[in-house]
Amino acid sequence: MAQLVMAAATPHNPLLWRAMRDPMPDDLAGVAANFARFRQSFADHDVDVVVVIGTDHLRQFSYDHSPAFVVGKAESYHGTWENEVRTFGMEYVELEGHRELADEITGRRVQPETIDLSVSLEWRLDHSFVIPLQYVRPELDVPVVPIHTNASMPPVPSVRRFVALGEHVRSAVESWRSDARVALLTSGHMANDVGGPRTFAGSPDPEFDREAAAWMRDGDLDGAIAGCGDFDRMLDAGCMTYQYLNAVAALAAMGGRPADFADVTESRFASSPFFLWETRR
Amino acid sequence: MSRYMVDKFMRFVELSDERVAEYAADPAAYVERWLGEAGGPDGATDDRVLTDAERAAFAARDVEALYVLGAHPYLLWHFTEAVHAHEFTPQSGWRELVERYRAAVAPHGVVDYIP
Repeated sequence: MAQLVMAAATPHNPLLWRAMRDPMPDDLAGVAANFARFRQSFADHDVDVVVVIGTDHLRQFSYDHSPAFVVGKAESYHGTWENEVRTFGMEYVELEGHRELADEITGRRVQPETIDLSVSLEWRLDHSFVIPLQYVRPELDVPVVPIHTNASMPPVPSVRRFVALGEHVRSAVESWRSDARVALLTSGHMANDVGGPRTFAGSPDPEFDREAAAWMRDGDLDGAIAGCGDFDRMLDAGCMTYQYLNAVAALAAMGGRPADFADVTESRFASSPFFLWETRR
Repeated sequence: MSRYMVDKFMRFVELSDERVAEYAADPAAYVERWLGEAGGPDGATDDRVLTDAERAAFAARDVEALYVLGAHPYLLWHFTEAVHAHEFTPQSGWRELVERYRAAVAPHGVVDYIP
């Protein structure tokens, strides 16, 4: 059977793409070092296919159609939107998909009993998927199964549904008749308020960041469920903070065990999540 | 109030370099043209309706009004960034726009932006 050999939660802040260049600015050195660490870990785990859980930023999915969770079943994906080239200086990329694992996750004919998943066979991936892949696997040579989670357009799935998603990804991988080594890469935020009253003014909620880092460091899935279960509390921490729940899905996928590496890195933009679960060290 | 249409308009403009340039060149005329290109009962669904307040806010690039009207915050920031970027100078660029944006929305705190 296939194995889930590692999981990681990273930021996907697209402003890094222009700013995090040599000579490295002092405030971004920590973010760059953590991405380098994750890049090495990904290489060390000999990954055959990567499931990427991210949150499309009202590019592919908007309020005309806002599914809770979408699994990509395409043979290949275009990455990066025109506005992301203009605004962030990002590059267009092409990514290979992985139909077989996608079918394992969604069910080919009938969906799993534990979670309802939409599927997409034509999907341009935004920076929530492209940025973490470019920093963790710059070669972009590992097939991907992208999973969009609606963390930006209320009504959003509850935290327990994110937990169910993470647990289902693990279950689907482990029941897949394959010798593939699978990684789970998730991207999101700590407290983040892009567009809100605390836009780009450092972390909008350092207390949330401390609690949320501890849930990962200590393997406290119950704490994460309790802490993220109050939408008003999450909104108080910033209008985009709910994307932290992608890291909760990673924690759930790894059985709720403490992250082997947990760091919340400060920079000029906000606080950045770096959580890593490994099976080889 | 039609928050969905406000979000739809911002997203429509921001996704395209060409549309950003056209809107920035003449916001009021662009809004009217966009509304006039709506779908209808006998065509593909593409309803386009804005209230007078929403139309006026887009015509004036009034960030504060759009925020209070319930524009999605993430879309509103990136729409604002897109349609002001051509005005950046060495003395007044991205950081200054962020400060102006924050000053416009902060007095209103967290608003209900759910359509």
